[in-house]
Amino acid sequence: METQVNNKKTNLLKRIMMTRGMGQVITVGSGLIVLCIVFGMINPNFYSSANVTNLLRQIAPILLIGVAQSYVLITGNIDLSIGSVVGMSTMISATLMSKGYMSPIPAMLITLLFCLLIGATNGYLVAKCKLPPFIATLGTMTIARGIAQIVNNNYNTDSIMKFFPEEAQTFKNFFYYGKTAGLYNTIWIAIVFWFIFNFLLSKTRTGRHIYAVGSNIEAARLSGVNIVYTTIKAYLVSAFCACIVGFITCATVGQGTMDAGTGYEMYAVAASVIGGVSTLGGQGILLGTVIGASVWGVLQNGLQFAGAPVAIRNIVVGVIVVMSVLVDIVVRSGRRRKKNVLAKY
Amino acid sequence: MTEYIVEMKQITKSFPGVLALDHVDFSIKPGEVMALLGENGAGKSTLVKILSGVHTRDEGEIYIYGKEHKGDITPVSARELGIAIIHQELNMCSHLSVAENIFLGREICKSGRLAKKEMNNESAKILDRLKIDIHPETIVGNLAISKQQMVEIAKALSTDAKILIMDEPTSALTNKEIKELFSIIRTLRDEGRSIIYISHRLEELQHIVDRVTIMRDGKFVLCDDFANLTMENIISNMVGREIKEKFPRVQCPIGKKILSVKNLNAGRMVRDISFDLYEGEIVGIAGLMGAGRTEMTRALFGIDPKDSGEIFLEDKEVKINKPLDAINNGIVLAPEDRKKDGLCTGLSVRDNIALPNLDIICNKLSVVNHKKETEMVDEATSKFSIKMPNSDVSAASLSGGNQQKVVVAKWLARDSKVVIFDEPTRGIDVAAKVEIYNLMNQLKQQGIGVLFTSSEMPEILGISDRMIVMCDGRITGELNTAEATQNKILEYATRFEKKLESEQSA
Ligand SMILES: Nc1ncnc2c1ncn2[C@@H]1O[C@H](COP(=O)(O)OP(=O)(O)OP(=O)(O)O)[C@@H](O)[C@H]1O
Ligand SMILES: [Mg+2]
Repeated sequence: METQVNNKKTNLLKRIMMTRGMGQVITVGSGLIVLCIVFGMINPNFYSSANVTNLLRQIAPILLIGVAQSYVLITGNIDLSIGSVVGMSTMISATLMSKGYMSPIPAMLITLLFCLLIGATNGYLVAKCKLPPFIATLGTMTIARGIAQIVNNNYNTDSIMKFFPEEAQTFKNFFYYGKTAGLYNTIWIAIVFWFIFNFLLSKTRTGRHIYAVGSNIEAARLSGVNIVYTTIKAYLVSAFCACIVGFITCATVGQGTMDAGTGYEMYAVAASVIGGVSTLGGQGILLGTVIGASVWGVLQNGLQFAGAPVAIRNIVVGVIVVMSVLVDIVVRSGRRRKKNVLAKY
Repeated sequence: MTEYIVEMKQITKSFPGVLALDHVDFSIKPGEVMALLGENGAGKSTLVKILSGVHTRDEGEIYIYGKEHKGDITPVSARELGIAIIHQELNMCSHLSVAENIFLGREICKSGRLAKKEMNNESAKILDRLKIDIHPETIVGNLAISKQQMVEIAKALSTDAKILIMDEPTSALTNKEIKELFSIIRTLRDEGRSIIYISHRLEELQHIVDRVTIMRDGKFVLCDDFANLTMENIISNMVGREIKEKFPRVQCPIGKKILSVKNLNAGRMVRDISFDLYEGEIVGIAGLMGAGRTEMTRALFGIDPKDSGEIFLEDKEVKINKPLDAINNGIVLAPEDRKKDGLCTGLSVRDNIALPNLDIICNKLSVVNHKKETEMVDEATSKFSIKMPNSDVSAASLSGGNQQKVVVAKWLARDSKVVIFDEPTRGIDVAAKVEIYNLMNQLKQQGIGVLFTSSEMPEILGISDRMIVMCDGRITGELNTAEATQNKILEYATRFEKKLESEQSA
């Protein structure tokens, strides 16, 4: 037995193939390559370095909210408040800066606190009060949007440059306009957090518990896993990522807009499920979310490049979401027997 | 100090509408195997769940290692006290690997990082000790039920518990695995550990058990050395009355052919199956775990796609491509895995029984006739004496055995031509088993063809008029009751193809 375990170690390729969720990552990954080739053929400028760096910067926030949603989906729940938390983060940080209350760093800390509060509330309502996650986060989604509107009395904020021109410029560069080693900082931020949260999910006890809760909550409870903490942690990660995306949005626009992040929770679901995260919980890896977010970004960018109007883009993306999940289900039911048929009768 | 490692005194526990435990006493010494026996719904699982921290008690005292344990026990504190439980229903995270399940909730970490290799190696050792040939990185959901059960056992053993609770551990195991488990139980006992063993397979007890505690209707009945009790004693104390015949048998004349299966193929586990079923007989399908019996019934009922083969019902060919085709033709199946296939656990008992019979209880406009539904549900639940506060409680709240009764009951509430039971008595107490046998006999007398699979030899021998033995997806033998013996069945059941070839060449 032991030698077997070690043998597996040596064969790296086989190990990668054996990793859970790799199947869909590879299928969708190939789809992504095909997409890139097709768009490149339609418009060679798709591959221009300007477009590629731009495309990557578009993908970055989608990846972050994708990570957010993936965490929650893997616990078997859903987070509908992501988009509103993005909006709230933008508005709170922008208000604090544009009114001259605080320079960017303390403003960010205060904002983060509020966002995490929403995340903790989500987790508490779902795990402790046993509210259906759809309802609980629908509630906090509305609340967070309300907060986003109320902080500046129902107006978008002024420019954040007004009181702290220097610090605000650094803020804008840090989150959006600046480049490090040839890549926009936004991309680096997404990469760094992706690595951190991927490590947390795949290599730590918390991560393991997140999978266990999503896979079989009762088994997890009986094994001594703290369901409430685990669920709250997942929602906190989600709120954290949404908060960061809020900063990125604020830096991009240079002011706070009340409707920032609208619809992001669904983009996040799309990025997750395209990448193979199951909405039923217990399944999926963050590498998949990278692929999912990339498919999303490439489609948007590529279709725009090919001259397709927004309406067409929406339709295509919707079809892709359904298709990618459908393909996965078909592939899996081909492999496994349809075990649940009987319960219906 | 007492001689007991665990003492539970006057434990009371009620669920909404049910008094599950009524001042129950229970105690166990170090280094003994204690059997906990009782009918379905007697409260056995509830009692051990209180000890392992799944449920909390309403009243009563618990002493562990001679010290009173005041507050509630939680799953974590139970583990710290050295109590481990193997649950009656499989409780695994099916998306996680074997090692991940074994170490769930007590992962080994090195500076915050999961020590995957250590856990895999550690699991491999435990599995080795159990002589289970499973790689620790296998995903649990891909394993057969019996293997999953072994993993569950490995998980409990891995905690090095002083008190080990096994709630019907053998109901899903193969004979070989049961033997392995028994020898492990003996080793554990000799190491001074205490084992609480719950089972409805009374014939197992003699191999391992030192003492016996019997419960009935949530109350303590008796506790004595196994050696002082006879099997009749045990059964009458469990049931509260004598059971005369464990395998009632009625004779009736064999009539015309009802069902005929010809060269049925479906996947790897159903190969070239042909058999006939006549009016007035019960045919038992014997075989070892994994012989393809369940797969065969599933293919017959139209759940799994067939590759080839013909099915004749009363000499007319019928096409069965989905369960509804089978039901419309009068073939029904009571499946094996009640949690997954048999029940909608979130729905009430009433809804579960009504579900396959909606065509009968609805009027022309598809509106449910409440009166008809109630009649049907009442008849079904009283016929099987299903123990529950009322039929509107959710199916999940019933005890394991009573859930099984609901699965059988819902199918028998309608008239059919052929009834297939897949392991109908798994986890059912002696008295209820007899009720199910009586029911099968009743069906047989009504001229309905009865087909049932079972892993319990005495049951197959005791109930069926004819038996078909399967091995590796093929029928390897057919026996009449008169000529059948356990050895003969076993011989057929182990006729693997390789063996056949070597026999032929020899
Ligand atoms: N979670 C629950 N909610 C409501 N009632 C319950 C619950 N668990 C058990 N019961 C009830 O408590 C009683 C005792 O159930 P228990 O599971 O302890 O029986 P058991 O002796 O283990 O039976 P079996 O042999 O069928 O497993 C039953 O009447 C059952 O319906
Ligand atoms: Mg039980």
